[in-house]
Amino acid sequence: MKLLFIPLVVVLIALRVWLRRRRRPTTSSATPLWLGPLTSDVAIISAREIRERLRGRVLRFGTLLILGVVAAAIVIPVLDRSSNSPERVGVVGHLGTLQYQLLGASAKEAGTSFKVIQLPSVGTARAELRAGQADLVVIGGSRLMVATAISPTDSSTTALLVESLAKSLGVAKALTDAGLTPARASSVLSARPLTVIALARGKTKSPVHSVSVFGLIIVFVMLTQYNTWILMGVMDEKSSRVVEVLLAAVRPMQLLAGKVLGIGIVALGQATLILGFALLLGNAVGASFLHGSAPATLAATFLWLVLGYAFYCWVYAAAGSTVERQDQVQSLAFPLSLPIIFGYVMAITAVSTGSASGLFKVLAYLPPTAPFAMPVLVGLGEVTWWEFAGSALISIAGTVLVARLASAIYRRAILRTGRRVHLRELFAWQTLS
Amino acid sequence: MTAKLSHYPNPGDQPPLGSVRRVPDVLELQGLSRSFGSIHALHELTFSVQSGKVVGFLGPNGAGKTTTMRAIFGLVDLDSGVVAWNGVPVDQSVRRRFGYMPEERGLYPGMLVGEQVEYLGRLHGMSPSAALAAATTWLERLGIAERSRSKVEALSHGNQQRVQLAGALVHGPEMLILDEPLAGLDPPGIDAIGAVLRDLAAAGTCVLFSSHQLDQVEDLCEDVVIIDHGELVVAGSVNELATSGSHRLVVRVEEDRDGIWARGLSGVTVSEVAGGEARLILSDDTDPQQVLGAAMRAGTVSQFVLERRRLSEVFREALQ
Repeated sequence: MKLLFIPLVVVLIALRVWLRRRRRPTTSSATPLWLGPLTSDVAIISAREIRERLRGRVLRFGTLLILGVVAAAIVIPVLDRSSNSPERVGVVGHLGTLQYQLLGASAKEAGTSFKVIQLPSVGTARAELRAGQADLVVIGGSRLMVATAISPTDSSTTALLVESLAKSLGVAKALTDAGLTPARASSVLSARPLTVIALARGKTKSPVHSVSVFGLIIVFVMLTQYNTWILMGVMDEKSSRVVEVLLAAVRPMQLLAGKVLGIGIVALGQATLILGFALLLGNAVGASFLHGSAPATLAATFLWLVLGYAFYCWVYAAAGSTVERQDQVQSLAFPLSLPIIFGYVMAITAVSTGSASGLFKVLAYLPPTAPFAMPVLVGLGEVTWWEFAGSALISIAGTVLVARLASAIYRRAILRTGRRVHLRELFAWQTLS
Repeated sequence: MTAKLSHYPNPGDQPPLGSVRRVPDVLELQGLSRSFGSIHALHELTFSVQSGKVVGFLGPNGAGKTTTMRAIFGLVDLDSGVVAWNGVPVDQSVRRRFGYMPEERGLYPGMLVGEQVEYLGRLHGMSPSAALAAATTWLERLGIAERSRSKVEALSHGNQQRVQLAGALVHGPEMLILDEPLAGLDPPGIDAIGAVLRDLAAAGTCVLFSSHQLDQVEDLCEDVVIIDHGELVVAGSVNELATSGSHRLVVRVEEDRDGIWARGLSGVTVSEVAGGEARLILSDDTDPQQVLGAAMRAGTVSQFVLERRRLSEVFREALQ
């Protein structure tokens, strides 16, 4: 955990020092040789993007909101687990040893403990139930009473206890009615279940299940958020006409690369912060998601968030260069988000069913859907390392192709103002080069 | 890096107003052509601009002025033609030494004024400290230093115009190209920007700017280039153009305030008579001395002025 914490602190200190240096003029105009690559046009453009985004309230409040949700998702289950109060079981009349044992077994099955409250009469029992002072009442060892009827779909602890206790008390009554002594009935009822032999190791839904869902939500939210930033950022530069001033000094590809790199660094920083926070908090409170294959799922999610951003950022940048008004953006945003929504829905379905269909495995190799499908396959343990690497390579190759196409579209569309530019116009106008 | 890319050794310390270059720079546009479908925006357009002068770039709406300026910065793909700087075709590294103020102003609305200008300096190859110093100097020179920490969108139109100009000047450009820099400015704003342009030209910068306000162009420019339908119509110094062509006279004869004396004179056209003054246009072979003689014969000549053509007249006549 220290290994994760130290880089985080170093990054935060470096960021703070850099921001302080920005505020005061430097005395020397000479640029150190070793800073050469960082002072290139792309780096200058990226730095502006990062600075402007970090200043924005959207990022600050959005990050705080996500951190709050993550903290709640980690801490609440732990608190819930530790603060599970015992079930209050009212007893009218005598509760025999057998019934008492069955009550204990049922409570264990329902995942809770219990506390017996001796009640003098059925009337008192009714009053206690209505007042909420008892969760259920056992009357004479042969009847159960609850405040409200329990639905078959109720999965509360009380419902599970009542259901289990009703069954076992019923069987116990049947056994004693059949002539078994309470001791024999107890022996029968506490019989060991048979050993079940499995041909393959079963899948554990939790905690990998919750980690996969958490990862999918983060990837979906962040890809949507940052790609929208790119779409809007490119459109804003076009509509404010500042792009004409910028392109008088730098090449279109430099401007585009600087923008996607700058926003990408902010996205990576936010993702690192959220992941680091989740791991630190999870470790501190002893959350269950740090065990089993969950860390591998988290790492895969992080990697695919980066690859997903790298792929989609070019698509959204090219789209942003074809529009210059809000209404035009809205007409583009939905079709652009369809592959993301499709990948997300398919991945959530696979996680909830605990199995990957053939189609889902195919989606794990397609760059638009792989950021959702591949981490889920890792969580389900249905992918080898070389399949994972192969999918990543396909995604990188796809990203290179999309980047080339996007930069050609951007170069041709960004200075064409007045109305939305359609792709067929760009292709018809001149062959892309 | 700064010394290599910037025209001045240290543009951040000293705006380029004090030094004069020995060898003039020349921007040459050779045979520029560009068509958008069936529309010829530029057609074999050729002219040159020399440093040390403020050059007005004139033409009616749709003449191709903005397309020409954008072509200089590579923002329009030319069908043919070459833009050269000191005889060498202009590329990205050369363009970074140019300054540009487009017709449709381009600034980040939410960015701080000082950072905006500094950022543009950085994109033109300046070091962080030089860009910061130059931005501060230019904002002071243009009278908006106190708005340095304001967002651009909070500024008035005139002040945004000044920020835009500061952005075009921050890196000490060798060539300054301004598309309608005076549009929407009040008289003090026009005077301030005009003074800056004159100082820059005097310091050896090449300044080319377009405008529809011909009187202001006449006051500001030494040379003009007039184009129409993407073709060159006329180019030359304002002085030459104003004094070339037909002679124009303003004559006042006290005894003949209706200018009847001038009617019927050979080679003389009476264009206007107002307030006792007759405005006459002389044909090329008509001697003004003959006209003076005719006027004196008609009565007492209290005014006899050889009038220059206004630039607006040069413009209209050129387009005809």
